[in-house]
Amino acid sequence: MTAKKSLGIDTEEMASRPALGIDTEELASCVSCGLCLPHCPTFRVTGEEWASPRGRISAMRQVQDHGMAVDESFLASMDSCVQCRGCEPACPSGVPFGSMMEATQAELARRRRVDWRRWGFRVLGHRWLLSLLSRSLAVVQRLRLVPSKRLGLPKIPLVQERLRATGNDVWLFTGCVMDAWQRSTHASVKRVVESAGAGVALPSPGAACCGALSLHAGLEDHAHALAARTMKALEGSAPILVDSAGCGAVLKEYGKHLGTPEAVAFSERVMDVHEWLAAQADQLPSVGERRRDVIVAVHDPCHLRHVQRAHQPVADVLSSYVTMVTLDDEGLCCGAGGAYAAMQPELAASIRDRKLEAINRSGADIVASANPGCTIHLANAGVDVRHPLEIVDEAIDYDG
Amino acid sequence: MKFRKADPLMRDLRRVLPSDRVRVAPLERSIMGRDASIFEGGRAGPVCFPISTEEVQGCVDAARRHGRAVVPRGAGTGLAGGAVPLEEPVVVVATKMNRLLSVDADQRVAWVQPGMINLDLSRALAPYGLHYAPDPSSQQVCSLGGNVGTNAGGPHCLALGVTSAHVLAAEVVLMSGESVVLGDADGWTPGLDLRGAYVGSEGMLGITTAIAVRLTRNPPAVETLLLAFDSVDAAAQTVSAVIADGIVPAAIEMMDKNIIWAVENFVGAGFPTDAAAVVIVEVDGLPGGVAAEADRVAELAVERGGSVRRATDDEERALIWKGRKSAFGAIAQIKPNYYLHDTVVPRTRLAEVMNQVYEIVDEHDLQVMNVFHAGDGNLHPLLLYDAREPGIMERVHAAGSAIIEASLAVGGVLSGEHGIGIEKRDFMPLMFSEADLDAQARLRRAFDPEEMANPGKVLPTGASCAEVNALGKVPEGVWG
Repeated sequence: MTAKKSLGIDTEEMASRPALGIDTEELASCVSCGLCLPHCPTFRVTGEEWASPRGRISAMRQVQDHGMAVDESFLASMDSCVQCRGCEPACPSGVPFGSMMEATQAELARRRRVDWRRWGFRVLGHRWLLSLLSRSLAVVQRLRLVPSKRLGLPKIPLVQERLRATGNDVWLFTGCVMDAWQRSTHASVKRVVESAGAGVALPSPGAACCGALSLHAGLEDHAHALAARTMKALEGSAPILVDSAGCGAVLKEYGKHLGTPEAVAFSERVMDVHEWLAAQADQLPSVGERRRDVIVAVHDPCHLRHVQRAHQPVADVLSSYVTMVTLDDEGLCCGAGGAYAAMQPELAASIRDRKLEAINRSGADIVASANPGCTIHLANAGVDVRHPLEIVDEAIDYDG
Repeated sequence: MKFRKADPLMRDLRRVLPSDRVRVAPLERSIMGRDASIFEGGRAGPVCFPISTEEVQGCVDAARRHGRAVVPRGAGTGLAGGAVPLEEPVVVVATKMNRLLSVDADQRVAWVQPGMINLDLSRALAPYGLHYAPDPSSQQVCSLGGNVGTNAGGPHCLALGVTSAHVLAAEVVLMSGESVVLGDADGWTPGLDLRGAYVGSEGMLGITTAIAVRLTRNPPAVETLLLAFDSVDAAAQTVSAVIADGIVPAAIEMMDKNIIWAVENFVGAGFPTDAAAVVIVEVDGLPGGVAAEADRVAELAVERGGSVRRATDDEERALIWKGRKSAFGAIAQIKPNYYLHDTVVPRTRLAEVMNQVYEIVDEHDLQVMNVFHAGDGNLHPLLLYDAREPGIMERVHAAGSAIIEASLAVGGVLSGEHGIGIEKRDFMPLMFSEADLDAQARLRRAFDPEEMANPGKVLPTGASCAEVNALGKVPEGVWG
């Protein structure tokens, strides 16, 4: 074992645990046909096998089955994965790539001596701390002391409106970064949901973060602790509506990750907010005249399209209010990937360039995307991008 | 072998390509050691990603100076091991050369780079109302350079012909480092048809750096029929009857019972999972003719006990084709490995050979699925297995050999479209005489005298002169 020191990998620990801890049946389930390749954003922009799902599975097999050392190129192969899971619906054999990648990341996280994410993501679980840091960041941004664009940050608001509960028909999950940085989106979502006749309950600070970012970084323990707190804070039997695709995907998978009957029951209550709204379409108010002429392209967040497989309701809800066009890139990722845009800025930007070309070809005025990561990443490239329900909120004629 | 920066070959390659496009990390060389075939023992030397013809020439020059073989690679979806690197050659990967260079819609010709994905070309041509006709099942990922290498087929090659009929010219870097154009994008050149010799040469004559392809007008009308039968015999007889009736459909594809449910499980296209076999027939052309042909096909199917479903719109049609084209990949729902054969038999003998295939597989206690281009008799029996089961490979290979022999015995051939690669190399003497193989080896050496382009593929070792009988074995460990 000759892993370089700079990798921050504990080589002794590695020698004692040669395998990656991936389920052997899962790892054997790929026939290497390659049909996933064009659906992988990193393969699309590099054309290189190590940056494709098939190549990554091959690399996992080299380490787990053939005892190859975890080296720099292995880490590059794994860490360059956006975890968009676009390969999963493309796979005729249903290879559970996301699950294998999460297992691999969990093992790598155990072996990494230093990982800022271990500490950084802790903040997300504490609403007061995140709020304090966000406001400080907002001030620093206004003093032009941080290169926001280069860091992939949005313009963070100095003052946030306060959301008030209006009933207990449904929960609105508010999350961490989205609540701290984009609360006005929650306000729009809440108005639209209320306009369909439901009273909205808001979770206590216990449900501060769903744990998605920790899970994707392989920090399983932290993710599970956040999940337990979230489940406790969203008690009862009311549907849990989620307006962030990344959060919704993980909340729906609590049952799989925790394996308890409570977690399974919890996950069954989770719905993307558009799924819920599409089912109440006849309750929604009519459109005001002014938005009809706006052309909107929907960018499907990967975790809505590939993981939740619930992207259709977004189009169903939006189509009553605006003119819609479809992007011609078969739902390829935009490169945001939660913390990915910050961790792998070059690849994230190349992936985004493909998305920008598709947006240009579509002739859309506005892009709608139901995930905060995507909206921040696309907005940083100058795209006019909103949450779909912000567009609906603006289009609804509440007085009419 | 380790490649250090000071290695003279590396030094020369890095003079030609920036260092981030010459890779030697052990992991990368090992994952480049395989394609979509069952061969696992390959290992690449330096892996190069050129972006221009000049860079490909530079890679070939460097390899030649150091006596190193060169293996070209596209998307790595080959099923016969054609891109599997043996003995650590320089691997030249075309995926970064993926641009559409020019389109002449009036002449119906496009120049493309070899790494362009087959389906991406047809998508790019959509605004012109044109497409590229050969559509291998892997068309959403396979590259056009690889299509040229294997002379790839596809469901819609029944009426329009395989890759060779759609390639007008190829720009090729020979092993001397020289770049030549074989064929002519404007029409036929006088003299020997070198383009014809090149298409299907599986990387043994040179490296493709640009291709002039013939474009096909999108048909004004299309009808897709899904026929279901209670027996494989009835399905096969219907296929023969359609052709005998004078109809040449755009495609005739067959799937047997075992594969139908795996495919249906993935796409949910409404394939009848209780049928013994389904046949997909597509007819295209002018609306009146299409309607009449579709009616006649339906009639012939019903006469043989079949039931008929017609796709009512493009979406339904696309779903049926998605099912057909993802069949190989769906196998891991049943077993983690498959060994796919690719023999061709006379259409009239289809049912007979399929029944033999079922018997052979039973004898060796294996599972088989059949999904294939029935219209041109191109069988694709897939033997399913789990490589972790001890002793299984012997049975898989024994059954495979028996299937090949059964196909050849009725006047069939070794490969329809996947190529010979490593997989069928040692079966070549079953089909060709010494004189045939010698002629092929001499043609190859006319292009590549030192045999440095993709060595160890297609032609058995010592294919020239009398060495044929002492066949070189496939290197140890290559059969996974």
